[in-house]
Amino acid sequence: MNVELTELTRKFGRTQAVAGVTLQAGPGVFGLLGPNGAGKTSLLRMMATVLPPTSGTLRLLGRDPGGYVPRREIRRRLGYLPQNLGYYPGFTVTDFVEYFALLKDMPPMQVPRAVAAAIEQVGLGDRARAKLRTLSGGMLRRVGIAQAIVNEPELLLLDEPTAGLDPEQRVVFRALLREFGQRATVIVSTHLVEDVGAACSEVTLMDAGRIVFHGTPDELIARGVGHGVGDAPLERGYSAVLAAARS
Amino acid sequence: MTVTTAPVRSTARQTPQVAPRNLARLLWLELRHNAMPLVLPLIAALYWVDCYRIAATLPPLWETRLFYILGQGHALLDFAPFVAGVAAWMGSRDGRRGMGDLVTATVRPRWEAQLATWAATVVWAVGAYLVFMAVMLYLLGRVVAWGGLPWWSIAVDGAGVAAFASVGFAAGARFPSRFTAPVTAFGAVVAMGMSSQTGFAANGGWALILPTMSNGNFGQDAGIFYQWLPDLPIARVIFFTGIAAAAVGLLGLSPAAGGPRLRRSAAVITATGSAATVTAIVLAVTAHVGPYGTVIPALHDAANDKPISYTPVCRTAAIPVCVQPAYRPYLGDLTAAVGPVASEVAGLPGAPVRATQIAAQFAAGQQHPVQGWTGQIVTLGGSPPVLSMPTGAIALPGSFGSYNAGFIDQIKVEVVHALVTPRSAFGNPAQVAVEAALLQHAGIPLAAQPNALGNSPWPLPGGGPHTPAHYPPPVAAAAQRLAALPPGARHAWLATHLGALRAGQISLGQLP
Repeated sequence: MNVELTELTRKFGRTQAVAGVTLQAGPGVFGLLGPNGAGKTSLLRMMATVLPPTSGTLRLLGRDPGGYVPRREIRRRLGYLPQNLGYYPGFTVTDFVEYFALLKDMPPMQVPRAVAAAIEQVGLGDRARAKLRTLSGGMLRRVGIAQAIVNEPELLLLDEPTAGLDPEQRVVFRALLREFGQRATVIVSTHLVEDVGAACSEVTLMDAGRIVFHGTPDELIARGVGHGVGDAPLERGYSAVLAAARS
Repeated sequence: MTVTTAPVRSTARQTPQVAPRNLARLLWLELRHNAMPLVLPLIAALYWVDCYRIAATLPPLWETRLFYILGQGHALLDFAPFVAGVAAWMGSRDGRRGMGDLVTATVRPRWEAQLATWAATVVWAVGAYLVFMAVMLYLLGRVVAWGGLPWWSIAVDGAGVAAFASVGFAAGARFPSRFTAPVTAFGAVVAMGMSSQTGFAANGGWALILPTMSNGNFGQDAGIFYQWLPDLPIARVIFFTGIAAAAVGLLGLSPAAGGPRLRRSAAVITATGSAATVTAIVLAVTAHVGPYGTVIPALHDAANDKPISYTPVCRTAAIPVCVQPAYRPYLGDLTAAVGPVASEVAGLPGAPVRATQIAAQFAAGQQHPVQGWTGQIVTLGGSPPVLSMPTGAIALPGSFGSYNAGFIDQIKVEVVHALVTPRSAFGNPAQVAVEAALLQHAGIPLAAQPNALGNSPWPLPGGGPHTPAHYPPPVAAAAQRLAALPPGARHAWLATHLGALRAGQISLGQLP
């Protein structure tokens, strides 16, 4: 398994953001759905090795991130796009992606080609020399995705990756996700259920720090037949599961 | 999520060791995107106004021109607030920009990434300091005829710039707020202000380690007659380097900074830096003053005490007047001062056959440097008699408040005093009266003499900070009488009585 979580919890003071999550995942694209405050971002941050769990066990890519050396090996194979992407306004797109390629300790000879490829994959080839301060929010999001995929990660964690992308870019991005899912574990946290339907082979729904559903998108759709509210089948499934979990 | 049957990828990915090329590229990126260049024009303008413009008006000797810039630390004063502030801005960058998670989730330890940013910041700051200093030395040096530069003092301020950059960076990284930079810059202003105040007031001890402390440890004839002693500047370089290392090392102590080995390295760097800082202060406390500058026994190299050889330049005015080539611009003033006095005493027993410049030295033998050391005057000695002039101990024309006429008068006063009173003190009334008469004939009217004497190391009795100096009436009357004598009569009296007069055996009543 690329991801193995057992009874994972995370507390911030008295607030329990993640409350005993157990899940396993191999290669493929996994959608992580849930309302605001469900614990999705905290779960992703723990999987990104930037936030230690309060309790439970966490194994990523066959290693325990609690140790320094295995954690470095995990990070070498990790791509991460946080929910709030920070950036350096004075950097160009190329500089920014290269900066993270260097921090990810990629072999020097591979860096220029990998940077160019990542920028092309997110459709920013024509803006490669533009400073980040001149880019729109959607373009910045794509820059964030480029830095996450520049090292061809085996575990790709994306927190709200399609926020701010236009429909055309979202279609391209979903294709990119599917392509990555062929060879890596891709976990996508999102509010946009149509992304899940189009790109994900598995979906997990969280509420109040717990997993309340996991299955395929079709199974989620099935849960909403005749029950949920929403404009789309997945939305109805989503709302039906949440309503059942809260009742 | 469901359990899948797909195995974990077993491909053995390349796991290179730290690649120097990656680090170099990272540094290059940081150099290109550093904020320091944005403030360099401001520093350059301040440097020009505060350092160059003032130094350019000073006498064309390195020790004089650089006293204000390096001795009193104005170069560092101009750099420190800006450098500390911008470094804090760079140090707080990841925190301000919300980059913490992104940077942390990478392979390279957080401290390594910070070190790249820090290194770029320091390279810009120290590089700018060196360039500005080089340009200023070139401009100032166009009129300097001779002499060496205080390279170690230049290095002190370079290390100081690195220390302020490092402390600022560490503050920014520790407190990543947009307010950290201005607060740090203000802190640097306060630190340098306190350093200046201490430097002006202190005479030694731990305060010697401050770059603004120049009392009795910078100048005289260093770089001209003897080497610039590097002892104290070396201690200061150790001091600043230690501060810089400790500040950077502190960043690596956090658990988030990196692995155990890296944190151990950071701890060693912090401890070494702290130890270096303390050691430097201890070294400064052990300092004493030698004739050529401040000596720190543990750092002193006796080879540095060797005088610098030179071929004097001379001009004749009644007697040959010779100076070190660095003082060539003042040879005219010196001959103008020595000539009239030498003519007046020509042919007398003990009259000088030559006037030669000697080195102005530091107040040797003191435990601590002496503020305002002025104990060196023109003396007459040897056989045949030679006037020895420590010209570097006299305020040269172009120094703060000094001008050519005053300089010439001061030399005349000292030469006459050397002829009549063989000690660095106020003579007896007869000696004072003879000096007054000789000075009148050398071109300083009696009425103007109290003013000229006011600048000498032996001001008239009754003179003081708030009281104009004056001759006692009997002395003034005797001086008038002697000055009114025909030159032949005065010369004949001096030929007969000069020896006894110098020995203090002539009273006021015995004067003609």
